Amino acid sequence: MPRVILTGSIRQQAGGLGIVEVAGDTAAVAVRELEEACPALRGWVVDERGSLRRHVKLFLRGAAVALDAPVGPNDELHIVAAISGG
Amino acid sequence: MTELLVGTKKGLVVLRRERGGTFEVAARAFPGEVVEFAIRDARSGRYFASVTNGQFGPHLFYCDDPTAKWQQAEGPAFPPGANAAVERIWVVEPGDGDGVLWCGVAPAALFRSGDGGKSWTLVEGLWNVPSRPRWDPGAGGLCLHSICPWPGDPKRLAVGISSAGVWLTDDGGETWRRGVKGLVPRYLPEESRHDTHSHCVHNMKRAPRQPATLYMQFHGGVYRSDDAGETWIDIGSDRGLPSDFGFPLAIDPHDPDRAFVIPLTADADRVTPAGRVRVYETRDRGASWRALEEGLPQSQAYLTILRQAFCADSGKPLGLYFGAQSGEVFGSANGGRTWSTIAARLPPVLSVRCA
Repeated sequence: MPRVILTGSIRQQAGGLGIVEVAGDTAAVAVRELEEACPALRGWVVDERGSLRRHVKLFLRGAAVALDAPVGPNDELHIVAAISGG
Repeated sequence: MTELLVGTKKGLVVLRRERGGTFEVAARAFPGEVVEFAIRDARSGRYFASVTNGQFGPHLFYCDDPTAKWQQAEGPAFPPGANAAVERIWVVEPGDGDGVLWCGVAPAALFRSGDGGKSWTLVEGLWNVPSRPRWDPGAGGLCLHSICPWPGDPKRLAVGISSAGVWLTDDGGETWRRGVKGLVPRYLPEESRHDTHSHCVHNMKRAPRQPATLYMQFHGGVYRSDDAGETWIDIGSDRGLPSDFGFPLAIDPHDPDRAFVIPLTADADRVTPAGRVRVYETRDRGASWRALEEGLPQSQAYLTILRQAFCADSGKPLGLYFGAQSGEVFGSANGGRTWSTIAARLPPVLSVRCA
């Protein structure tokens, strides 16, 4: 199963979980499964329309990807807060 | 004890003062995050904080002790059919009825909770009013920022939207009508003012002892309504205010004739006029205004006070509190007669509410 890797404040929001195994063959499904596993993350990575939040990045095999990126069973999907703020 | 909830650009600051003492920082929650608004529901004792995380979006939290752990509410979030996402949670307002609270967000929408604020549902009646596609945002976005329940009648509600005017319901939110008669949008060409949806309400409060009385700070104009928001009377022109532009508005919950504003210089210069920080009070429903300034900075003080950053408590004498983007919080324990600086070096203040 693919694994979602959480770091920083989103890891805190997930109760300290850094790695979550999820089902799914795309990043979108993986994020949806992540929300099922960690209800506290509902609305954090994607908004209620299912759109990736503007300042959240997904990385797969070293490259930034969109929600429709295919995810393999051995992949690690990193959810990263973009460098932004004020 | 007096407790103030100060939403800042870098977290929630809880200020407390024991009788006869000075205000101290009792807690800081959501460090580093934008806390747009925080309030305590006096009925349940529950606290709410609207937090906009720079990366992970806006979320509403609640707790029973602001120095302890907060829980995330279920919503407010738009249902799938709405094709919208909450951008910012502007206000939470206790309603009339057991466990009822209201929440206003951007893009302009109203949410209702019937379980004390744990979960929230979109008020579809307002979301579906036919004119909504023609609503325009103000500089702060298209936001529903003012919610005025009617004490004793849970079906009646008035809300203020920047810049889509006042909306009124008498059936608990099923149907809505506009209440903008008398408002003059001077920021529009004269020939465009009659048939516009652009009424930039900056703040609106209801007098709980006389619910048909509402006060409004408009985008250029201070108004009062004597008929529950159907029509509006200019109370800002030539009555002693240095400017009729601003955002903050507070009322005395015990006296429907008494209201307070903090004018800013102008639309294009949103700081306290002439470098002086002054609160203006009316005790005669807006027939006249007088400056309250003793203890407030009276020179070289160009402060910006945002719409949610001014409040009155329910005390007698009345307590008044406001915060500025400079990070200062000012308070008066005697209805504005004298003021003191109760916090001097906070992050930019976005909201102030008495707990």
